[in-house]
Amino acid sequence: MSEKILIANGITKSFGRLKVLNGIDLTIDRGDRYILFGSNGAGKTTLVKILSTILPADSGDLTIFGRKIKKPSKDVKTLIGFMSHEPYLYNELTAWENLNFYASLYSVKDKEEQIKNLLNEVGLSHRLNDRIGSFSRGMKQRLSIARTILHSPDIIFLDEPYTGLDIRAQEILNNIIIRLNNEGKTFFLITHDINRGCEIASRRGLLSQGKIVYEDYGGKNKEFLEKFRDTIKGEMC
Amino acid sequence: MLNVLKAIFLKELRVEFRNKQMINSYIILSLMILASFRFAFSIIDFSITQLASPILWITFFFAGMFSLSPVYKREIEEGTLDGILLAPISPSSIYLGKLLSNLLVIFSLELFSLLILFIFFPIDIPDILSLLILIVIGTIGIAALGNIISAISSNLSQSEVMLPVLLVPVLLFTIIMPSVSSTSEVFAGAHLLDVMQEIKLILAFDVVFLAAGYLLIDYILED
Repeated sequence: MSEKILIANGITKSFGRLKVLNGIDLTIDRGDRYILFGSNGAGKTTLVKILSTILPADSGDLTIFGRKIKKPSKDVKTLIGFMSHEPYLYNELTAWENLNFYASLYSVKDKEEQIKNLLNEVGLSHRLNDRIGSFSRGMKQRLSIARTILHSPDIIFLDEPYTGLDIRAQEILNNIIIRLNNEGKTFFLITHDINRGCEIASRRGLLSQGKIVYEDYGGKNKEFLEKFRDTIKGEMC
Repeated sequence: MLNVLKAIFLKELRVEFRNKQMINSYIILSLMILASFRFAFSIIDFSITQLASPILWITFFFAGMFSLSPVYKREIEEGTLDGILLAPISPSSIYLGKLLSNLLVIFSLELFSLLILFIFFPIDIPDILSLLILIVIGTIGIAALGNIISAISSNLSQSEVMLPVLLVPVLLFTIIMPSVSSTSEVFAGAHLLDVMQEIKLILAFDVVFLAAGYLLIDYILED
């Protein structure tokens, strides 16, 4: 039986009068590549921020690696990687300095070797001494991928990771996801890009009106697409 | 803890010296304040020994306050604060790392302001070491409280207005007034031992502000 590393029960979240999440129940097993789809405003980013412990839920229970999360402890934080819309990088620092800074915060061992390898993997080793203020959005996004996995987290949350990436960079990202997943890492990814998302999904979910309305284990894309369209139509009616 | 503190301290210094946001606003503001006083006092007779101290501390206070304003706001606007808070570190390390870096930058800039003061208002200082010690302990209070208030106000709308509203009443009576009075006496020829009462008061508030920042930053950043 697979190990359940994240269990969410009845997660709700409101901003003012707007109820964004309306009782989310979700379980993620070790080694999953869970891709969550949903239309704009469905609450995907809010959910991923709650699951990655950045944002507290209004109610509900969240258990990560067997620990109930009220306020994330340092050891739980070490196990989590999160890549957001924002790259979480400093424009004034070079690519190397940015990664070196985060490596120090996470007490990464052999950080120089690790940074060198990651910059190589995301195709930025030739720009390691350039300040990232001069980088394109796609390059910052690639560096952000390196930042996210720098400390070898066990579960990695990715919020719209394909945004701003060209086709080559999208392939680099998918290769990294597959490589790390083969090493036992777990992924929870939200995206609008159904084709890219379905390429790597081992589990798929649909979020609509603050609830997960459909889940499958990576069956036929056509059926999933129809389900997705029906869900969006249902939201509009 | 020390490695994290060092990483945040060095990151802050690099970011500051490369975008010069705090440095530029401090230099411009302190020049404007000192020049304003120079021109204002050019039309009346005055005793520079009496006026130098309030002029100096008003400059330190306002230039320091406005240059501290973006310390946390910048991190929130660029999303980098979430990145740091995700890491397995104590928020108090963030506070202390930023504070040490700000102290170094502000103290260097205060030396620049001091130089400008001497140019605009020629004055003899009998005991420069005592003056520098007073500036250091006063600056610790300004930076310690300024950092807390900057973190509190950075999430508020119109944070630029809120920062002085929250900072002025507290700093004025705790740090600025005893600093003005003790610096005035040093300008008049007194030594540190002669102004120990003021020094003790300033140091006490330094400790209070540092402890408050260290203990409260967790709750402030959580919100």
